[in-house]
Amino acid sequence: MSKLARVTLSQFLTYRGGQPMLAWLLHRIAGIGIVLFVGMHVLAAFFLYGVTGGTANTVANALTEFYESRPMQIFILFAVLYHGINGLRIVVLDMWPGLHRFHREAMWLQWAVFLPIFLIPAFLIALGIKIG
Amino acid sequence: MAAHIGSSARSRSKFELYMWFFTRVSGVLMLVLGAYSIIYANLIGGPGMMDAAAQTRWAFFPISFHVTASKVEVEPNFQNAFWQFYGLLLFLLAATHGTNGIRVILKDYVRQPVLLAWLNALLFIVWLSMLGAAVYLLFVAQGVS
Repeated sequence: MSKLARVTLSQFLTYRGGQPMLAWLLHRIAGIGIVLFVGMHVLAAFFLYGVTGGTANTVANALTEFYESRPMQIFILFAVLYHGINGLRIVVLDMWPGLHRFHREAMWLQWAVFLPIFLIPAFLIALGIKIG
Repeated sequence: MAAHIGSSARSRSKFELYMWFFTRVSGVLMLVLGAYSIIYANLIGGPGMMDAAAQTRWAFFPISFHVTASKVEVEPNFQNAFWQFYGLLLFLLAATHGTNGIRVILKDYVRQPVLLAWLNALLFIVWLSMLGAAVYLLFVAQGVS
């Protein structure tokens, strides 16, 4: 019935799933992160505009202060970019199964695309540098 | 009885197949919609009118609240019926994609079938409420123009 495996913590930490496991794990963490962020953001906006008609209120302020904090900005940037780019790799490999021969190369290509477009804005956000 | 169980299992796996397909189609569509928003913002907003933060907000979700802090003229280019329905489509894709993802994760980790059924029911209500909130924000709070 259930496919959940019973593993101990030491088994979990020493399991060498390598790149595919890392991609699966990061995809899942990023996905949950986006759902939480979008949920909080829609809830905050609904409280702001729907409950107090555009003026400040406690729930909206608390949520906004949390998701607009610098670490959360960087996390959301990571989550959206990683989930989007990793998802694109999955779609491409699902549509053209012949490309599975190159699945290793696809993962390195993915890091080569993801790292610069994540790290450069992440550093700018971390240092508080505004552009434009 | 056996036939009944077999057909229910088949329709269940058919649902999973449809959701598997939807996840891929909606994922690619969201990337395309986001790309179009940011290209539009740079062509219509003009250079120097939106900072990187405003462009990112607009690319993630094209609602006029996301650009009111920038120097662009919000009306009519960033607040009109086109962007309202565009936002509704994007939110429908995103909310369904995300809710389905949470459903899959719950199925992976929740072992008790009854608890899983209740959590799925709760998830369905959250999904509907989110859509309701989005419709309110896009069409009532933002104002139909």
